[in-house]
Amino acid sequence: MTRNILFRNNVKVFGKGTQPLMFAHGFGCDQNMWRLVTPAFEQDYRIILFDYVGSGKSDLQAYSAERYGDLNGYARDVLDICAELELTRVVFVGHSVSGVVGMLASIREPERFDRLILIGPSPCYINDPPAYVGGFERADIEGLLDVMEKNYIGWANFLAPVVMKNQERPELTRELEESFCSTDPRIARRFAEATFFSDNRSDVPRVTIPSLIMQCSEDAIAPLGVGDYLQCHLPQSTLRVMKATGHCPHMSHPDETIQIIKEYLTAARAG
Amino acid sequence: MSRMDDLLNTAPCGFLSFADDGKIIMVNATLLHSLGYEPGELQGHHLETILPTASRIFYQTHFFPLLKLHGRVEEVYLSLRTKNGTDVPVLVNAVCRAREGVVVNDCVLVQMRQRNQYEDEILRAKRAAEEATLAKDEFLAVVSHELRTPLTAILGWARMLKTGTLDESVAARALDTIERNAESQSQLIEDLLDFSRIISGQIRLDVGRVELAPVAEAALDVVRPAADAKGIRLQAVLDPRAGPVSGDPERLQQVLWNLLSNAIKFTPKGGRVQIRLARVNSSVEVTVSDTGQGIGAEFLPYVFERFRQADHTTTRRHGGLGLGMAITKHLVELHGGTIRAESPGEGRGTTFILRLPVMIVHNAEHLSAVVTEQHPLAGEVRAQPAEWARLDGVHVLIVDDERDARDLLITILAQSGAGVTAVATVADALEELRIKKPDLLMSDIEMPDEDGYSLIRRVRALEDRQSRSIPAIALTAHARASDRLRALSAGYQLHMPKPVEPAELVMAIANLTNRGQGP
Repeated sequence: MTRNILFRNNVKVFGKGTQPLMFAHGFGCDQNMWRLVTPAFEQDYRIILFDYVGSGKSDLQAYSAERYGDLNGYARDVLDICAELELTRVVFVGHSVSGVVGMLASIREPERFDRLILIGPSPCYINDPPAYVGGFERADIEGLLDVMEKNYIGWANFLAPVVMKNQERPELTRELEESFCSTDPRIARRFAEATFFSDNRSDVPRVTIPSLIMQCSEDAIAPLGVGDYLQCHLPQSTLRVMKATGHCPHMSHPDETIQIIKEYLTAARAG
Repeated sequence: MSRMDDLLNTAPCGFLSFADDGKIIMVNATLLHSLGYEPGELQGHHLETILPTASRIFYQTHFFPLLKLHGRVEEVYLSLRTKNGTDVPVLVNAVCRAREGVVVNDCVLVQMRQRNQYEDEILRAKRAAEEATLAKDEFLAVVSHELRTPLTAILGWARMLKTGTLDESVAARALDTIERNAESQSQLIEDLLDFSRIISGQIRLDVGRVELAPVAEAALDVVRPAADAKGIRLQAVLDPRAGPVSGDPERLQQVLWNLLSNAIKFTPKGGRVQIRLARVNSSVEVTVSDTGQGIGAEFLPYVFERFRQADHTTTRRHGGLGLGMAITKHLVELHGGTIRAESPGEGRGTTFILRLPVMIVHNAEHLSAVVTEQHPLAGEVRAQPAEWARLDGVHVLIVDDERDARDLLITILAQSGAGVTAVATVADALEELRIKKPDLLMSDIEMPDEDGYSLIRRVRALEDRQSRSIPAIALTAHARASDRLRALSAGYQLHMPKPVEPAELVMAIANLTNRGQGP
């Protein structure tokens, strides 16, 4: 079972510290997106990287449309890994949709978590007038699904699922490595639906773990209002609006990202 | 401007550089032009200015992370928004590189309007294919189930019979059950074959003039045992003056049979099924209504779709393939008619309303034109009178209670040179037979007082040897194999279903009277 979960989620563990610092990627990406950030924490933390089932180099055989049709399925991936590695006092860093995934995991098993760090999180992407502005209409997300479908059409696995470890065809492996991080169009579509059609606003007040909300100053995916909403409703949360723009500050502005995380963790330790 | 700048600006593709924070650094003239912006207008703005929402999300979640991870992206599809708000589909290649110490992302963008349409079509086709496959899989499961259900009864009872231990009454019931189930299976197979003909566009109509009242009567005869078994009252209100339609009598009977048996199937014990036939303006309208479970408003639009039944529990309760109504609608439309379903709601019965255009009735002198006229839906080319066999010297006695039918036959036979006597009743026929000693008898089966079966039995029992052995043809709207068998065993040499093909009729008479032309 141990090997299975670590293999299933392509889990990587490294670093010289003892407290676990777990990085969770967002929709459309995989653990590689953290590579500009993790070196800054290797000395002080035990770093855990992984890919959600269906993304990156996870085991596609383990994918179940039912389990991953809902963000709770992704939260179970996080908790499975925590259980497997017997993690406690976890500092969970989640990008984008993983912000909500981290909240859901911490509600289920709060004893495992020490802090949540949420980069560009949103509890609900769809507008719910008049009180809530998520930033999108359903039609926008339908449009995204179309764009995704067009972009996944050319990939080799359009018609048949591809086994990721393809030793005989290194060129295919290379192509996959350089393609989108979730390589199966059906899985990607379901992840997109689970992400953008979910409404987890009612879960937000149930979080008991202190958290940091890292909000980019101009983010098309999670607008400033969403950061404010979260700060209001997420107990024990701190909001930091970054200079960074866009939705992936850990890739576009890694230094500022590292600095804010470090400041927060230092303050937390002092507190 | 340097030669390189000039090349970049006028290259037949868009070029755009942007910084990691999304700020546009430069755009070439080709791209500016296709997006409707003036030179310098986009510089310094965020990339998202020219990305519609869906593309913006894709850029943030896929494009940008990929570019950062691998230093390049290839063949990414995005939409760009022009200044006036329309969207342009493009294919983007991008590389990420350091220029003068700053990270810059360079993109080449190629418009793909036509290719995009083409890809849309492919995706649509793919989705349609996936849906069709799913529907066929489900259909196959239903077919297997439906074919197996009667088979279980057939096999089970056959094995019981083989043991030889069943007493007589049980054995008789076993045989009945086997027969009934084999018939129901045979009907399933007929439906499947029809359906496959519909799919391949191979259904052909043998079109002629059809009176719907006798067709409806025939359909009622077929379903009566099923209605009786459920204690369902069958009511028929058939206006015999509704007028003829142009169609294939066998297929029209199938349509009415489908509607009636469907109504009986979905009506509980003790209910009522009614069929009405009436002229409505220039149409003949048949309504079949029942006191059954009705159809919910949400399912009404799908009643005539293939593979569709109101729900699977219904499917299971009532059996069937869900093809009957699809076949019915297709046949009706082939006849230039329409069919629709109405129901005030579940539990409140259903009414199917079928309309067929009434056939224009010509006068007797135009009849030959009518019968040789090619129906637009009939595939075959019909023989013209000049090509028909000759019947000179042959005297035919026609028996038909319908005047129009008699006139038609008289005209056809007269064209071939035959002598014709036509009467309306069996009594008159026997009289003419005695007096005129015709060479051939041709009789309708359904007649009011005494029918065609009775006529031929009486003819075959005549004293006079010549009259007794007269060749005889039965003409009838009853087209089933059992009808043919009944006509032949009653004493006719030949059974021809209406409407008859004139050339065929003439040839049949020629053969029966030994006037067939040898090679």
